[in-house]
Amino acid sequence: MPKRREPDVRRRNFLKGATLAGAAALTPPLAGKAEAAPPVGMPPKSVPLPNLVVETLPPRANPVNQTTSGGDFMVDVLKTLDLEYCAINPASSFRGIQEAMINHGNNKAPEILTCTHEEIAVHMAQGYAKMRGKPMAVMAHGVVGLQHAAMALYNAWCDRVPVYVLIGNIVEADKRGPGAEWYHAAIDPAALVRDFVKWDDQPASLQHFAESAVRAYKFAVTPPMAPVLISLDAELQENPIPDAEALRIPKLGKIALPQGDMGAVEDTAKLLVNAEAPVIVVDRMTRSDAGMAKLVELAEALQCAVIDQWGRTNFPSRHPLNQSMRARAVVAQADVIVGIELNDFWGALNVFTDRIVRSARSITKPGVKTVSIGAHDFFAKANYQDFQRFQAVDLFVAGDGETTLPYLVEAVKRLLPADRKAALEARGKKLGDAHRALVEQAREEATIGWDASPITLGRLCAEVWDQIRGEDWSLVGNGINLNWPRRLWTFDKKSRWNGGSGGAGVGYNGPGSLGGALANRSEGRLSLTFQGDGDFMFAPGTLWTAAHHRIPLLYIMHNNRAYHQELMYVQAMADRHSRGIENAHIGTTLRDPNIDYATVAKGFGVYAEGPITDPNDLAPALKRAIAVVKRGEPALLDTVVEAR
Amino acid sequence: MRRNLGAVAFAALMVVAAPAWAQDAPAGNAETGKKLFLADGCYECHGRVGQGGAFNGPAPILAQTQLPFDAFKQQLREPSADMPAYADTVLPDGGVADIYAFLRALPGPKPVKDIAILNH
Repeated sequence: MPKRREPDVRRRNFLKGATLAGAAALTPPLAGKAEAAPPVGMPPKSVPLPNLVVETLPPRANPVNQTTSGGDFMVDVLKTLDLEYCAINPASSFRGIQEAMINHGNNKAPEILTCTHEEIAVHMAQGYAKMRGKPMAVMAHGVVGLQHAAMALYNAWCDRVPVYVLIGNIVEADKRGPGAEWYHAAIDPAALVRDFVKWDDQPASLQHFAESAVRAYKFAVTPPMAPVLISLDAELQENPIPDAEALRIPKLGKIALPQGDMGAVEDTAKLLVNAEAPVIVVDRMTRSDAGMAKLVELAEALQCAVIDQWGRTNFPSRHPLNQSMRARAVVAQADVIVGIELNDFWGALNVFTDRIVRSARSITKPGVKTVSIGAHDFFAKANYQDFQRFQAVDLFVAGDGETTLPYLVEAVKRLLPADRKAALEARGKKLGDAHRALVEQAREEATIGWDASPITLGRLCAEVWDQIRGEDWSLVGNGINLNWPRRLWTFDKKSRWNGGSGGAGVGYNGPGSLGGALANRSEGRLSLTFQGDGDFMFAPGTLWTAAHHRIPLLYIMHNNRAYHQELMYVQAMADRHSRGIENAHIGTTLRDPNIDYATVAKGFGVYAEGPITDPNDLAPALKRAIAVVKRGEPALLDTVVEAR
Repeated sequence: MRRNLGAVAFAALMVVAAPAWAQDAPAGNAETGKKLFLADGCYECHGRVGQGGAFNGPAPILAQTQLPFDAFKQQLREPSADMPAYADTVLPDGGVADIYAFLRALPGPKPVKDIAILNH
């Protein structure tokens, strides 16, 4: 590891420090074969023949071999950051660090994942980080690669997920070769995505890189978590290290996450214990099973309703206090509402109507007290409107939700009067009865059209549940946000559900699910995802990455042969004009020809079956596909199902 | 999330509405109703077998709807929440009656106890 010493040479002097070993090794024996020159002033005995070997050697000032490179040092730095993987689509602007990663770094920590599109790489990193609890690195071309990656970065930004992005660039104009290297260079390549990354830098030296690399990691994993980006000059990656002794790698110390002010936590607890109908609404709070357990502890202490907006698995789906399926009813009756890590508090308290004249109204009782706990207001940007409509609250507690929760639990338990025990139990029983009624209702409604084709979504999800319920399963994606899994399955720990795209950017589900499955691989979990067909077609090459890297994941294709949400929107517009809907399929459907997803998957080396149209074929097909996944490979079932 | 709430209200209405539909409904042709249900895109949100689904929020179950005919027609003509409106120029009253007859004829839920995998 390089030792501490300040560099005293400019980067562009690297060539002066480059080893001439390659040229030196070749030169002596080759020079020995050349004829000796005649003494000065004496004519040559004869005209010498051209020495082709010598004449085709590169100039001595331009060596052809080197023993170190900036890329090697960069990899040394990255190895201190506990990055298991680096997802890439190969690009010349980061060839230096890529070579260093696979040879100097032995392709371990980080190990390169080959992706067929930068959007796949970033979405994989997003899904991985949520499940694994730490970032993955991504490398991309600084211009065209980053342009491909941009939408996925926006999804990760909206989802509050850290992604560690490295891009290549050639900063100095005179070092760019003609053609592509000029097209692929920029003065400020990060400008393209600066609105939705937390921090970026373009280091001018290796020491600068080391410090920025550690700084970027720290920023990425400190709530509110978000992508970060470092632009790597190709010269810096590729040239020899002028003075390795001068370089040092800063230590990444332990990061204590921000908790809410204790006075504010106490005030929140007082509101909750004195409320008649308190409600807790959570979205992107839980990062661990411990966090989930704390939320259960809080809800059970209060015997209050919990609404899980499903940005993560925050609260057990079968807990009697889980009222997520009757959110409006409990919000409308609440006298205290505490939102934890809500990106859209306004949306939880209001109804919005998508009519010719768009309108909204509050659904809360007059005088309701509201508290927001979250880290999102620590960092915001102006241009993209992911922060949603402003919701006035009585108290905003700036702090990470999961970090603050234990203190809130402690305060609530301390403040709860003993004489309220019977009242709280009655409240909890009422909520539990409502929860159980909804569970029974879901089972009954799942039977409607049980034998129909196209297969109903209730039947599909019931059949899948029957096959996985005995496994350590993990739903790593749900392309069109089916609610049947929440209604029929038991989500009882953090890893059961990995959250959605974040920014509703279509194309997340295929690679995002794969990233989650990669994180699950080392845990031996059975990963599965419901894959929308429209979403799949954005990045079908994801399947090749799944097969190539042996990432076990069951894709259940939700094949409705349309961009169905858009089909419904176009239909709604046509209905507004009373024009009929016979043309609504134009530009919204994936028919003529129907896409044979099983054949597509097989072409990428993935086990696949389908199209499955008979619901009675589901169970045996699921058994076969799950067997494939359990032996460590991806599989795909193309199921032709109801649209929504 | 916010857009789910209006649709939930409609769903609740359909569950608890008075069962006055039978005697009040005009005669309709269920076969024709099925064709209209598909042609007019009702199935896109509510499912071909009326299991319900989603648009901006949940789209209610329509199999064996308990909604009175007049309320059903009202919902088509001037819907609550985000459901698109169907004017009589697109869907005449006769067609509404046909769809209503189709929905009333759809099989409703089966007994859960008869389906083993729903009883775990």
